[in-house]
Amino acid sequence: MATVEERVKAVTARVLKLDPEEIKPEHSFTVDLGAESVQSVELVAMFEEEFGIEMDEDAALSVETVGKAVEFIADVCKQQGVEVEQ
Amino acid sequence: MRLILVDSPDEVRGNFYPLALSRPLWELRCGFSSLGEKLTARIGAGSVAYFVPDYMAASYRAKAEGPVNDVSVLKGDDLLIVDPRIKADGFNVPAGGPSEVGLDEQGNVLYARVAEADLAKLAKDDIGQFIESAKAKLPNVTTALPTWKYIWDLILANSDQIKADFATAGRNGVEGVVEEPSAVRGDKKDVYIAPGAKVHPMVVIDAEHGPIYIDEGVEVHPFSRIEGPCYIGKDSILLGAKCREGNSIGPVCRVGGEVEESIIHGYSNKYHDGFLGHAYVGEWVNLGALTTNSDLKNDYSCVEVMLDGRRSINTGSTKVGSLIGDHVKTSIGTLLNTGSYLGAMAIIMAMGKPLPKFIPSFAWFLEGVVTKGFGKGKLYETAKTAMGRRGCRWTDDKQDMWDAVFEMTAPMRDKAIKKGRREMLSR
Repeated sequence: MATVEERVKAVTARVLKLDPEEIKPEHSFTVDLGAESVQSVELVAMFEEEFGIEMDEDAALSVETVGKAVEFIADVCKQQGVEVEQ
Repeated sequence: MRLILVDSPDEVRGNFYPLALSRPLWELRCGFSSLGEKLTARIGAGSVAYFVPDYMAASYRAKAEGPVNDVSVLKGDDLLIVDPRIKADGFNVPAGGPSEVGLDEQGNVLYARVAEADLAKLAKDDIGQFIESAKAKLPNVTTALPTWKYIWDLILANSDQIKADFATAGRNGVEGVVEEPSAVRGDKKDVYIAPGAKVHPMVVIDAEHGPIYIDEGVEVHPFSRIEGPCYIGKDSILLGAKCREGNSIGPVCRVGGEVEESIIHGYSNKYHDGFLGHAYVGEWVNLGALTTNSDLKNDYSCVEVMLDGRRSINTGSTKVGSLIGDHVKTSIGTLLNTGSYLGAMAIIMAMGKPLPKFIPSFAWFLEGVVTKGFGKGKLYETAKTAMGRRGCRWTDDKQDMWDAVFEMTAPMRDKAIKKGRREMLSR
C-alpha cells in the first residue's frame, strides 16, 4: 500500500495537473504549486475521498504545505480509525 | 381580543422554503407588507403573540413586537388563533363571538376563536395541544378560506396585491423630491413619493398600468424606469434600473438591471445588469453582475420547482423564476434556470451555463459541482460582514438558528456533495 505522503502527492498531482515527482513536502499548495482557492476546496474534497475521512473545512484549508497536509491527514485518519501506511 | 399567529408544521413550511427556513411564514412579503402585517391589520387585534418553530424562537424574539412561544398568552383574554397561510383579504371571520374552530376540507385547523370563558376547558402546556383540544372540545365549522399554498403563489399575486395595498394606503402625490426633467406617465393619482424620497433627473415613472409607491428615503438614480404596479421600500436605491411591473423591493435594497414581477426582501443587492423575473429573493442576498434568471420555458409549459431537491412540483404557471434564500451570493455571470431553488447561505460561482435547478442551503457551488467549500464558518463571517456594513448585528441567537438550519438541510446537501465528488473524480 502506498504511504500517506505518496497518496497525498498523487491526489495533489491529479487535481493540480502536476507531475508527482516534482511535488516536495516543503511545497506550499498556493505559492509553489499554484493552487487557486477553488482548487484548494477540490484538494480537500479529493483527500477526503482518497482516505475515506471527514475533515473540518477551516482546519483543512489552513494547512499550507504538502508535508503539513500529510501530518494533518495522518492525524485525522488516526482519530477516525482509518488505517494508513505511514 | 388577542391575535395569535401560529406557524405551520414543517411539512407545510417546506412549501415556502428556502425563504421560510429562517423566518415564520407570516414574515413572507407580498405587495407592500408581510402576510402577518396584513392579517393583523385585517383582524384589528389589540395585541399579537407568536408561535414559531423552536429553532427560530430566540432569533425571532429579537425582532417580534409581541411574545414568542410563550404559553402564558393562552389565558386572560378572548383569543383568535390564525394560520398565517390564510390570505388576509379573504379572512372574513369576525374577531369576536362564540368559540369556533375553522377547519379546511382536510380537517386542518385554519383558525380557532376561543372565548375567554372556554379557556379553562383547554390544554395549555403547548400550542399544539391547545389547538388540538380546541378542535376536540369546541364547535367546528368547515371553511373555504383562501390560503397560500406555495411560495410562488406570493410572486404570482404580487401585482394585484400592490394595487390593493396602494388603495388601502390611500396616499398619492409627491411629498419627496422629483428633480426635473422626469416623466410621469399615466394618472398622477396612481403615484406616491414619500417624504425623504429623491427621484433624480431622467427617470420615467410609468403608472399607466398600475400604481407606484416610492417609500421614505428611496433614491431613484437617472435612467431608471419604474412601471406600476410597483412598491419600492424604505431607503432602497434604484440604479438606472429597468423596474418592470409587479415588483416589491426593499427596504434597504440596491437594485439595478432589469427586474420584473419579483419580491425582494430587505438588505439585498442586485446592483448591476442582469434580468430577474418572477423571483422571490430573501434578505442579505447579493446577486453578482449579469446574474440572470429564466422565468419562462422555451416551450411555454408550466414551470416545475424542486423544493426538497427530490420531487418536482408543477407550479401551474408558465412564469416562475428563482427562489433565492437569505444570504445567497452569486458570482458574476450566474445563469439560473426557470424555477431554480437556491438554498439559504449558498455561494454560487458561475460556470458559464445554467446551474442545476436545486442548490442546497449552505452549499458552495464551485467548478460546476456542489462542494463543502470553505465551510459554514466562512459563510457566517461573510454574513457578519454584510450585516455590519448596513449597521445590523449578527447575533448568537441568529447563529444558533442558522446552525439548526444547517443540520436540517444536511441530508440534501450531503447527497449533492457526494454527487459532486463523483463528478470531480470522473474528470
